[in-house]
Amino acid sequence: MIQPLVQVEGVSKFYPRVHHPWERLRAFAALLRGKEPLHGAEVLRDVSFEVMPGESYGIIGENGAGKSTLLKVLTGVISPSRGSVLVRPRVAALLELGAGFQPDFSGLDNVRMKASLLGMSPTQLAQRMDEILAFADIGEYVHEPVKHYSSGMVVRLGFAVVAASDPELLITDEVLAVGDESFQKKCIQWIESFLQRGNSLLLVSHSMFLVQKLCHRALWLHEGRAHMQGDVFEVTQSYLAWHETRVDRERQHRQNLSGQGGLYRIEQFNICNSVDPSEHVLQQGEAIEISMTLIAPDGRPPVALFGIVRADGTAIYGVASDFDGIVAEQIDESRFRYRIRFTDLPLLPGSYSIRGHAMDPEGLRVCDTSEKRLRVKGQSRELGFVRLQHEWIDGKDADACGMDTVKGSHSD
Amino acid sequence: MRKVKNFNTVIFLQLVSRNIRTDYLENVTGFAWLVLQPLLMLAVYAFVFSTIFQARMPEAEGVGFVPFLAVAFWPWTAFSEAILKASSSITANAALIGKVAFPSELLPLSTVAATFTMHLIGYLAVLLFLFLIGTDLHWLGFLWAIPLLLLLALFAAGLALFASALQVFIRDTAQILPPLMTFWFFTTPILYSSTMLPDQLQAFFRWNPISWFVLRLREAFITGFSGFGLMDLLVPLLSLLTLLAGLGLFRRLRGHFEDFL
Repeated sequence: MIQPLVQVEGVSKFYPRVHHPWERLRAFAALLRGKEPLHGAEVLRDVSFEVMPGESYGIIGENGAGKSTLLKVLTGVISPSRGSVLVRPRVAALLELGAGFQPDFSGLDNVRMKASLLGMSPTQLAQRMDEILAFADIGEYVHEPVKHYSSGMVVRLGFAVVAASDPELLITDEVLAVGDESFQKKCIQWIESFLQRGNSLLLVSHSMFLVQKLCHRALWLHEGRAHMQGDVFEVTQSYLAWHETRVDRERQHRQNLSGQGGLYRIEQFNICNSVDPSEHVLQQGEAIEISMTLIAPDGRPPVALFGIVRADGTAIYGVASDFDGIVAEQIDESRFRYRIRFTDLPLLPGSYSIRGHAMDPEGLRVCDTSEKRLRVKGQSRELGFVRLQHEWIDGKDADACGMDTVKGSHSD
Repeated sequence: MRKVKNFNTVIFLQLVSRNIRTDYLENVTGFAWLVLQPLLMLAVYAFVFSTIFQARMPEAEGVGFVPFLAVAFWPWTAFSEAILKASSSITANAALIGKVAFPSELLPLSTVAATFTMHLIGYLAVLLFLFLIGTDLHWLGFLWAIPLLLLLALFAAGLALFASALQVFIRDTAQILPPLMTFWFFTTPILYSSTMLPDQLQAFFRWNPISWFVLRLREAFITGFSGFGLMDLLVPLLSLLTLLAGLGLFRRLRGHFEDFL
């Protein structure tokens, strides 16, 4: 029977409250009596999972979900408050690549120290030293104190030692993000070949792409609990979907909140001739006319800002009344109206939002926001979201400008 | 299991060498200070005690006050400095402990080993110098001194484990420990001889384990063996028990260091 490489059962972790010296003392007294100081922040709650040989696990979740704490428990840096952790193979952890590096010592000295912490004997290290130096590729700097290194160099050296330690299970946090592009590529390549040799990886990452590429299974931590685990695609997709709805909820929440903060408010925000109040539908290239009535309790005309954004919030275009030197039409003492028309709207088919903002009369601060959904219909196969004016140049009157640029663009 | 032990030995040796080199890394003369500094200190003590204080010691008629002091002073310095340095070895290496899993008792233990190594090199230099200038010290004293110093190092290691674990939880340890060690220094007959004390105090100070180390070291090099006593059994036992208890406490607490660092 194949035994799992990692067995985590019902792991909980509390951090004791230790802000006040007396709290430290009390927690210490509890520990001396052999008790767990259970009060305090609960970072992990009843997390269980197994990693089988040759299998790689991704751990995902928002910031503060307990991912790093889980890794620390797995590497044995901290002990869980409850539950058990069993890690069988030779583990190398890449929690922080420069960890254990002493800034005053040379790179070479630090390699020796780190290698011993990773369980390499002096003879093994001597055999692999060339390999390490080649991978780190920092040249004569290895003889310099580490305090003179750039952060990238520290990462290179740290990764090189870990790679040379020949682990069976690699536990890594979001560390690869530190190096430059080519070094990152090198690391990913190394990890891929490491996995091909039948080893396992435990990866914490915010990059779903990386998780999907390198892992078979995933664990989604949410507020310290294992929210979901299983096939990497199922878990990452639910995670992304959850994120989208959350961003959406936040936006709605913001919309509800708006209008309370500022002095200048939107009374009315309308798309003219709109049939459906929730979503205005128009044909590609059609015109659109918007009117917005603003309330200014102090009687000074507020500035209006109109903007068009894509469904995910990417800004496409925005213009404020004061940019164009437009003065509001005054309806009564405290109410002002702006009307704007976008002729031949060049948006490509898709979903958009049109936003109106009430700004203070100086045009510095957004006081209120209102939003309408917009759907552009059409049969266009063009890409992007705005149609740019263009014309195709006839082949016969091609001049010199074409040829050179084509050659140049291939150099990289 | 055997493999794990080997790994730990490698880490331990790395930590010891790192500890020793930290103090000398950026010196021009490097490791020469290991020998030069103790000899300079010896010169200072010779000047202060023989010329200014004109200190005399009844037991030390043959050798003079300075050798009498030197024989006990360097082991004490090693002992005291080892404990003081090791007590902050966990808090000082907080970054390492939070990121790398390794047996953290190696930190205080390697600090003790490094401090003893450095001061014993100085001790050797001082004793050799005294021999060379013709001081009447017993050569055979070394045979006795080696097990005594080893035992002293084990005792220091035990106390260092206690102190370093305690300091993680109670930071005040860093402030309490130095005056405590100074008090211990002056209540141990290093600058003086226990025979100079009033009888009542003498009977009380006899229970100080370091007094026993000092007495036996002086006997080994200068005054000659005076016969076995109860302390010959108690102090080695106490040293080993301290070490075991220190290790026990440390291992119980080390899983929680990260929470308090």
